Amino acid sequence: MGEAVAAAKTGASVYWNAPTREDDVEAQIAIVDNVVDQNYDGLVLAPDQALSLISPVRRALSHGIQTVIVGSPLSIPAGGRLSYILNDDEEGGRIAAQRVAGLLKGRGTVAVLGINPDITSIMIRAHAFEQFLFQNYPDIRVVDKRMGTFNVPHEEQVAEDVLKNHPDLGVIVALIWSTADGSLSAVDSLPEGHSVKVIAFDLDGWPHFTERKNLDCVIQEDTRSMVQQAIELIHAARLGQTVPAIVHLHPQLISRDNVDQPEVRRILGMDWQLGQWHLRQIQ
Amino acid sequence: MKLSPAVYRGLLFGGFLCLLLTLGLLGTRAYLHSPSRGLPYSDSFAQSKADEWRALGGTWELMNGTIRNDSDERGAKLLTGSSYWRNYSIEADVYPLGKSGDAGLIIRSGDEQEGVNAYRGYYAGIGTFGHLLILGRADHSWIEVTKDISTPGDVRPFQWYHLKLLAYDCQIAAAVTVLTHSSRASIGIADPDCIRSGRIGLRSYFSGGIWRNVYVRPASHEDLVQMLQGQESKSGFLPNNVTIQDSEFIESHRLLEEEQTKALSNSSTQTIASLRLSSFVTPSRATIRGTVILTAPRLYVEDSTGGLFIPQAKTPPLKVGDEIEATGEIRPGDFSSTMERATIQLLWSRTPVPPVSVTASQASTGKYDATFIEVRARLAGKERGPGDAQILDLEEGPESFRAFLNPGRSDRLFTNLKLDSILRLRGICVVDPTLTHNLTPFVLLLRSNEDLEVIAGPPWWSAGHLVAIVIAILLLALASVFLHHRVENWRLRAILEERGRLAHEMHDTLAQSFAGIGFQLQAIRNELPEGLPKMDQQLELASNLVRHSHEEARRSIAALRPESQESEDVLSGLEHFARHMVEGGSVQILAEREGEQRPVPSRISDTLYRIGQEAVANAIRHASPTQLTIRLASSENSVCLQVEDNGTGFVPVSGLQGFGIRGMRMRAQRISASFRLQSKVNEGTQITVEAPLPPRVTLLSWPKLLWKYVMEHSINARATKQANSYTYRR
Repeated sequence: MGEAVAAAKTGASVYWNAPTREDDVEAQIAIVDNVVDQNYDGLVLAPDQALSLISPVRRALSHGIQTVIVGSPLSIPAGGRLSYILNDDEEGGRIAAQRVAGLLKGRGTVAVLGINPDITSIMIRAHAFEQFLFQNYPDIRVVDKRMGTFNVPHEEQVAEDVLKNHPDLGVIVALIWSTADGSLSAVDSLPEGHSVKVIAFDLDGWPHFTERKNLDCVIQEDTRSMVQQAIELIHAARLGQTVPAIVHLHPQLISRDNVDQPEVRRILGMDWQLGQWHLRQIQ
Repeated sequence: MKLSPAVYRGLLFGGFLCLLLTLGLLGTRAYLHSPSRGLPYSDSFAQSKADEWRALGGTWELMNGTIRNDSDERGAKLLTGSSYWRNYSIEADVYPLGKSGDAGLIIRSGDEQEGVNAYRGYYAGIGTFGHLLILGRADHSWIEVTKDISTPGDVRPFQWYHLKLLAYDCQIAAAVTVLTHSSRASIGIADPDCIRSGRIGLRSYFSGGIWRNVYVRPASHEDLVQMLQGQESKSGFLPNNVTIQDSEFIESHRLLEEEQTKALSNSSTQTIASLRLSSFVTPSRATIRGTVILTAPRLYVEDSTGGLFIPQAKTPPLKVGDEIEATGEIRPGDFSSTMERATIQLLWSRTPVPPVSVTASQASTGKYDATFIEVRARLAGKERGPGDAQILDLEEGPESFRAFLNPGRSDRLFTNLKLDSILRLRGICVVDPTLTHNLTPFVLLLRSNEDLEVIAGPPWWSAGHLVAIVIAILLLALASVFLHHRVENWRLRAILEERGRLAHEMHDTLAQSFAGIGFQLQAIRNELPEGLPKMDQQLELASNLVRHSHEEARRSIAALRPESQESEDVLSGLEHFARHMVEGGSVQILAEREGEQRPVPSRISDTLYRIGQEAVANAIRHASPTQLTIRLASSENSVCLQVEDNGTGFVPVSGLQGFGIRGMRMRAQRISASFRLQSKVNEGTQITVEAPLPPRVTLLSWPKLLWKYVMEHSINARATKQANSYTYRR
């Protein structure tokens, strides 16, 4: 959505593509290489893997392609033709910790699921969450941590195992959307009177709080603004303007209380008005 | 068949070259097969050099002036020297790294392969388990004799021994000295069907080892006797300035040696993968069990779930393949963990874990961080890093990564690696940014040279190879052209020699006969009585015919004689001919030369000479000139002969020319020369022949000539026209 807005604004022509699976790193590398071969002016990349994309991105930079990494960082230092527009995952981790503290009223147990080292931002938010909890709420214990995948049934199985091992578990923090989906399914199947709240990150689509009674909140990154700003940054760089090396965007806490607010709807990509209006302007 | 002098000289030169080549080959072979070549030999471990050694198994690395094999493989070998060494001794300090097994030296080794007893030769080792000096013969099997070394307490791992092995004829002797106690043992065997020559080696069996001060020198029977009697000079058994102090590393390990014997810990252990889920904020202690996969420059341990980096650990002397239990503080990383302030306990030794074969793309996901992997890649570059580290830049598919070799034994390997080769590498996959510098997703830490294998060299169609092939083709074509010219010259020389022989034959037979007949006819005329006018007239006619035939014969002889043509100086020859013809007359002969005289092929000079002869003869006989001018003009591409007289001249009429002129035209046609005849009544005659010359071959001109030559021969029709720019004009 953000790319369409930025394209209309800058007059850029945007080629958009992504692998059909989020963990298909080789497909994403092939797409990046294709962009390099086609001599595009810029590349906006939300990397699926922290290490594997280093070489392809270095290739793109060596071909003079202005590159903006969005969402999760790579380990290549920013500068020159490389910029980052990132979600502030440390803030995301802190928001989650504060939410957990609120739910547990300062005492209880929490499990962190969906840890995935392939995506640096997930590791950052996991570290920040644990750090903030440790410093500010010492009576809340992280009793279990599990690696995560993008396979929802697998994540459901993992969540069931965690719930079985920790019957007194208060909150599950799901660091990726597939883990959140799996965890919610597992929690929903718990017997009556046994409630475990789920705090999710970056849901794919509308949160559906009404149907998901155990979903407490979603901490959502503003992907729309990231992509829009990335294209505008490439446009500015082409015009010879100075562009920032790193930009951090704040994540948005979405709960039942604010889900219908315009800003939340915009972040969730439910506000189609803007894009359609711009498309009409192009025609 | 009689050989011409030129061919004879060529054959002689060729034979001499063959002889020189044969002698050179024999000399080289004798040098390479010499039993003393390269002796005495002293290692360069102290200078961190071991290029000349070749490993079969093991993890051989240079460290603090020693060479070390951490692996407890059965029969890891490191070999060097000449396979023609016969009577010599090898000695070295040996430091066994295991409680069971042995470490020692090989002599007269050959036919080596990777394997337990996969070589032919003699081996002497220090068996730490049975306190033995072992001596035996390997021939892809093993026969041994053993001897107790002093008191059992003296023989144990983790201390230095001085081991010497000597082979003289079919007698082999070994001696060992415990350096700390100076106790000594020796053993000797006689092997009737002995192995008579071979190289040297370091070897360990079921135990790692450290070697230093390897020294090889020729041995005599006296050396053998002295060695068995223990009379060798201790101060003389090592060369100067190679003794080095025990490194701190070994010393510290020795102090920790006792810890190996401690009972196994009862603490509960975790899998290495589970450590990644340890608390990110509070340090937690954990105990793991795993197999050592790398000891230097970093210690890495692996279990079935993943790998672990253990920095600055208190460790006993570890070898690759050792099973250990480690306890320390866990610092979880994204892809693997680090155990800090670890205490390590050696559990038991085992063979090294095999690598996991993965693609570079798989390795670049971080999934194999800190584990032992095998990967194929193309060598894209190589460079030397800090501390003379050898760095390989590698690519496979869309991924690139680097591999680090330890300097020292890999110097030659590193130098000889060709870019674009396909390599198989085994090493520890590390994604730590302190090593990758964020340039590549991961780096590979190679344990030793043997972790790198060249699967295929660079493709033959590299730019360098293509240029070399083009140059080779050009040189070959040039050589062909040169050879063709030489053969053509030899053929012409043979023809000329044959003509010379014919001229001599004619001179000795036909001309002499004509002279005799003429003389006889004149005698008959002189004796003829008067009154027989008709008879006298017939005799005079016969005498004239004989004289004419004699002259014709002399002309033919003159034309056939090579002496008249061998000289390239056509002008001088023709001047001489003309002066000879007008001898006694009043015709003035002028010879003029224009341009720089340059070599003219004999085929052309011969033809010009013949045409000139005919022209001069015609002018003197038929034109009654008072002056005859012969000119020869040379230029870069042609030579022009002109014969001009101021005689009576004639009116040239097409088709009505005499035999002489037709002959001159035909001769000119054979050398692709132009022929022009200009004559007017009372204004003399001028005959001009201009022949093209083959271009001169110089360093700068030969590619152009070669191209022209190739074009001429590939496009026949057009080339034929282009070859003769001097079209024959009738």
